Amino acid sequence: MKQNNLTNRIFLFLLLLPCFVFAQNTITGKVSTDNGDPVSFANVIEKGTTNGTTTDIDGTYSIDVTNLPAVLEYSSLGFTTVEQSVSSAGVVNVSMAESAQSLEEVVITGLATSTKRSNAANAVASITANELTGVTTQSGLDGALYGKFNGAEIKANSGSPGGGISMRLRGVTSIFGDQQPLFIVDGVYVDNSSIGFGNNIVSQAAGGGNPSSNQDDASNRIADIDPEDIESVEILKGASAAAQYGSRAAGGVVIITTKRGKKGDAKVSFSQTVGVRSPTKLLGLRDWDQSEIEGLGGPSNFNLDNLRDYEAELFDHQRISYTTRFTTSGAAEKTDYFFGVTHKNEPGLVDNTGYVKSSVRLNIGQKFNDWLDLYVTSNYINSKADRGFFNNGNANRTVGYALAFTYPWENLSPVDGVFPQGGAGSNVLETVAITTNREEINRFIGSATSNVKLINTDHNRLKLVLQGGFDQYTLRSTSIFPRALSYFRDPTSLGGVAISGSTVNTNFNLSAFLVHNLDLDNGLSFTTQFGNFLQDFRRNTVITIASGLNGSQTNLGQSTNVSTQQTIIPQKDTGFFGQTEINFEDKIIGTVGIRGDKSTNNGDSSETYYYPKANLAINIHKFDFFGEDGVFNSLKPRVAYGEAGRFSNFNDRFSLMNAQFIDGSSGVSPQNLRGNPNIGPERQKELEYGLDFGLLNNRITVEVSSYVKTIEDLLIETNVPASSGFTSTTKNAGELENKGYEVGINAAIVDNDNFTWTANAKWWTNDSEITRLDVPSFTEGGFAASLGTFLIEEGSSATQIVGNFIAADFTAAEIAAMDPDGDGLIVLGNAEADFQTTLFNQFSYKNFDLSFLWHWKEGGDAINLTTLLTDLAGTTFDYDDTGVDPTGQLSNGDYRASRAFADTALVVEDASYVRLREIGLYYTFPDGWIKFTDKVRIGISGRNLINIFDYNSYDPESSNFGNNVLANNVEVTPYPASKFVNFHLNVNF
Amino acid sequence: MKNIIYKVFLFCTVIAFTGCELQEIDNPNAPSVESFAEGASQADVQLLATGLEAVMRNDLAFHYDTESILAREYYDLTGVDPRYTGELLKGPLDNNGFLTTRSFAAWYKIVKSANILITAVENSQAGFDDATKNSYYGYAKTLQAYALLMVANRQFDNGIRLDVSDPDNLGPIVGYPEALTGIQALLAEGLTNLNNASDAFDFSISSGFAGFDTPATFAQFNRAVAARTALYQGNNTQVLQFLGNSFLDLSGDLNNGPAHVFGLTGNDISNVQFHVPNQSGQEFMIHDSWIADAEAGDSRVAEKSNLFLVEGVPTTVTFDGLTADYQIALYDSNTDPVYLIRNEELILMYAEAQIDINPALTVGAIDVIRNAAGIGSYTGPTDSTSLIEEILRQRRYSLLAEGHRWVDLRRLGRLNATYVPLDRSSDNIINAFPTPFNEGL
Repeated sequence: MKQNNLTNRIFLFLLLLPCFVFAQNTITGKVSTDNGDPVSFANVIEKGTTNGTTTDIDGTYSIDVTNLPAVLEYSSLGFTTVEQSVSSAGVVNVSMAESAQSLEEVVITGLATSTKRSNAANAVASITANELTGVTTQSGLDGALYGKFNGAEIKANSGSPGGGISMRLRGVTSIFGDQQPLFIVDGVYVDNSSIGFGNNIVSQAAGGGNPSSNQDDASNRIADIDPEDIESVEILKGASAAAQYGSRAAGGVVIITTKRGKKGDAKVSFSQTVGVRSPTKLLGLRDWDQSEIEGLGGPSNFNLDNLRDYEAELFDHQRISYTTRFTTSGAAEKTDYFFGVTHKNEPGLVDNTGYVKSSVRLNIGQKFNDWLDLYVTSNYINSKADRGFFNNGNANRTVGYALAFTYPWENLSPVDGVFPQGGAGSNVLETVAITTNREEINRFIGSATSNVKLINTDHNRLKLVLQGGFDQYTLRSTSIFPRALSYFRDPTSLGGVAISGSTVNTNFNLSAFLVHNLDLDNGLSFTTQFGNFLQDFRRNTVITIASGLNGSQTNLGQSTNVSTQQTIIPQKDTGFFGQTEINFEDKIIGTVGIRGDKSTNNGDSSETYYYPKANLAINIHKFDFFGEDGVFNSLKPRVAYGEAGRFSNFNDRFSLMNAQFIDGSSGVSPQNLRGNPNIGPERQKELEYGLDFGLLNNRITVEVSSYVKTIEDLLIETNVPASSGFTSTTKNAGELENKGYEVGINAAIVDNDNFTWTANAKWWTNDSEITRLDVPSFTEGGFAASLGTFLIEEGSSATQIVGNFIAADFTAAEIAAMDPDGDGLIVLGNAEADFQTTLFNQFSYKNFDLSFLWHWKEGGDAINLTTLLTDLAGTTFDYDDTGVDPTGQLSNGDYRASRAFADTALVVEDASYVRLREIGLYYTFPDGWIKFTDKVRIGISGRNLINIFDYNSYDPESSNFGNNVLANNVEVTPYPASKFVNFHLNVNF
Repeated sequence: MKNIIYKVFLFCTVIAFTGCELQEIDNPNAPSVESFAEGASQADVQLLATGLEAVMRNDLAFHYDTESILAREYYDLTGVDPRYTGELLKGPLDNNGFLTTRSFAAWYKIVKSANILITAVENSQAGFDDATKNSYYGYAKTLQAYALLMVANRQFDNGIRLDVSDPDNLGPIVGYPEALTGIQALLAEGLTNLNNASDAFDFSISSGFAGFDTPATFAQFNRAVAARTALYQGNNTQVLQFLGNSFLDLSGDLNNGPAHVFGLTGNDISNVQFHVPNQSGQEFMIHDSWIADAEAGDSRVAEKSNLFLVEGVPTTVTFDGLTADYQIALYDSNTDPVYLIRNEELILMYAEAQIDINPALTVGAIDVIRNAAGIGSYTGPTDSTSLIEEILRQRRYSLLAEGHRWVDLRRLGRLNATYVPLDRSSDNIINAFPTPFNEGL
């Protein structure tokens, strides 16, 4: 090796020697970014020649040219290339703009390799740090992704502090499996579970039986990742791009790379954000009159001025939040580091709710010699989310549910410290004041990557990439419903409930890959990788429920009755991956690869499932026949095919016994699920084709993609005759297809010294269809047909919403047309949006930067059961308005209430919206404005400041059932959504 | 040279790592059903036997609520799930809705649990002698027959399956009379097993079966269920014959009988048919006619109902066009037992069976019930119809909310608007639950 290096150096020396000898005109200068940071190691080339140099760490360079005037070309990864005419020797300083989506950017295409974006055959979405958190502060990673890439449906489950989103990439990809994408942070398989509190004993949301339901409004764990630490996010939206992740990739893959120290002076930066949270929308009181009050059993002669707006009392608050961040990073010749600390405190709209998070990251890279390096990342997160008690309940105890039934003439304020019971089943003020629903996280995520260069010659390079990742967290959930609650005071009631949940989740993954590069003289080069991996996942959840609390005690031990439930989910996967990329002079780039996966989660753990991939991209503009002067600067047709899988649930294989306990003796009885020992993974096959082109010197770049994604062996939890003693089983019994189109346009509209304007528009649409179903069509999700549910049937969309209708409203012919099979169900909507589009604009004028992101979702229906409940209670804000009844006779509320549970169309609403997702205005003070500081930046920004929708409740985004279900659009009295206005101060030293 | 050694070493490590094979993972959360099928130990079999008794309580409230609401014994006016005042009172019942399927599945879960127990005992490695095996079989078959009788009453003419031992090959759905015949036969098998069983059960049976916790006394429970089945079959001779071998005691405690017991500890479950008095969200309200039709001084009224108070003031509860003043208070706590069958019902069965055989004995039995309720002896006419009416009336008050009214009215040809108050114009009478949609799969 040493020999080689020496040869290289001599060669380089000889190459450069003539320059020194014949140098006459020396040009020196500094290359810096728009912000004044030096651009290290940028290439400086005299255009049309092979004469060139690179900048040093401080961004300075010196180049000798033979003739003047000359044109110098400055280029660097992540920056737009700059051409500068030079007419005389001397100092030429150049400023380079960071490119939003530079063509030289690399995208991940293998497990150990990446390729230049300009050569990629997939539309891989990339989000830079600037796009992620540059406009405004985000509560968590989940929110930061909204509207920033196409092909996705991202929804907030509720407005509770601490996050919770559901994310679907390119449509519904499973009916019963985990829809969420796989998250990889610096090579670590990061857990994104959503773990319930065990509140069902109090909320009774899911009827009897299971203590933990998916209606607990738990957050999902990807929210733990601090978005400020992230350098870039890449999203592999389907199997054609994600096949290398095999049986975990059917929901797509989100690959997150955190920040790493860059060569240059050590950077120290400090930022402080102060935010104001307020509700995006409140519904308000019904227009009460005396007869309505009496009609609902209220007092006579009630002074209407004394009506209490409990909604406003609960939600109408301005809360101040703080985010403090400190980072330092740098790199010397062989060592680089990045250190970041964030502390965030975001109180929620509702009293006693909020989110507090601290995150510490240290990333260190070390080169030991010219063939061995090591990069270690570590992240510790501590967070606490007080989420409040919301969503569905069957005992009128959740805040939202009780609020629906709380009348404004009631006085719920405490008398001598004791809250009155209230007519709604619980007293909302009391619930907010004395109950607790808290999630606390201690999490460590770490990874280590080592590159070992085995062979390193000009044409032939072989390296070994070893990677290990570890993700462990402890989630402690605490729910306290004290005995003092009005509904727990009666000695025959449960007498207070304290629930303590603890989950320990440990994932680790190891992989070893050999990567071989072979460059042939004929212009062909090969990048080949082969390796294998082992992944181990283990989650252990213990939920302990204590009832009959001793007096005011909340300790589990201070109780009459304790019960415990434990769930262990173990899984081990292993396999291999190999692929070869063949590149002909960057003109034609083709890849073939295959992954083989074994898992303990499959019915047969020794069976290997294979997931192949192949793709081809042709850079037409690189061929000679593609003239230089056309409208197009670049033109790349591409096609990619890949397969990926999704595991069945761990329990699907087993017919298990439930523990029983009666009169001091334990026993067992069979569960409802009949195990299927032959269960296998779902298989997704995706074919994507697209065309990328650049116009006007690549100032406008366009990316158009189309895909067809087929999910075979669809996992279906199907019913079995209940007389068998079981009620359901899981089978591979169907096929689902998604087709869609995505368009992305980036434009540098204005670009001069004082003013730049870049815009970036995205548009996407997706349609799904159940193409085969081996079981009878069935309804899934939601509560019941009369309350809106999904009908899974062959030939129809997977997200069609069906419900009941009132036969008297229609003629027999109309009914025959709507309901041809006569099952009483008609299609009332579709959860899938017709299309979504986003528009991001960034203006810079001198030291001012203005950016904003609009997000428009057109179509896509949601099921609004909040209005149904308030209608039944008579408390809906628009109860006395008219317009819903086509005959104009009844008020909205009377009309809806009279048709409740019969005319389901009334609860299925259009959930279209237009939102100003983010807006930010910043001012950067001139250099040296404050002594000892490098750069001072102040700004004001906002999240969700403008929200336009027709939807008749708080927000069209809401999911009573959490994230991982088909029915992620059912609203039942959620925690209302909030908007933020943030003030920023950012100082670099 | 040293470098190359390192590299070769690393390379070998990687190759070694490739040879990784995965071991099957057993489920760490619970035992599988299959694990009991062959070679079960005594402890395994005991777990199944206890589990069988315990699982009988699951979703029990659904059964009693739905049957009681169909007979308008009480209403669920909590508003929590409006299907209780909509679908259940108006019909038609959704053949895939929980009102239909949940109890159906719960009763068959008991049948399945009993089958698992029987198979486990047959193939056990515990070395049970025949008498011990018979004790298990008699216990399992009796409870299995009880569950089948309960589900048969729900499904009525729509029928049930009797043979469900093989989930891949379920037996046919048979009509109500044939189902009763099958249940009677199963009870007889169970009785034979119990009669040939060991002196004591080999497993712990809960205190709810105090007095019925040996094969010999458990057989009395078996005969009580057989008598009830015979009554539904209209075979009065058999009713009397079976009652003779049951725990019928005309002078005994009316509440004597095996019961489901409840608890709050661990995996135990509570009696959710208990409703906290006067609490909102707990408005399970007795139909006003039950209060109005009662004879003055009937102690059963005060015992089983609670005038609903809000902040101490009697308040009429209204929901969905239905109103009521009294909350049901059959149970006094969330651990109160629920009887499988009790002496009060046996006495009334005895009275009914005697109408065409010895009406004097009918009146005597009726008087036992009437005097216990503090309303004095029966003074009405003693023709068959009058006596049937009187028995039906006593059953209405004695067995309120215990799942009888709807079945009684139906078997006595009285499931009509005279006996079932239809409070709203859209209300209807429903005489059977539909066959669950999934049975057709």
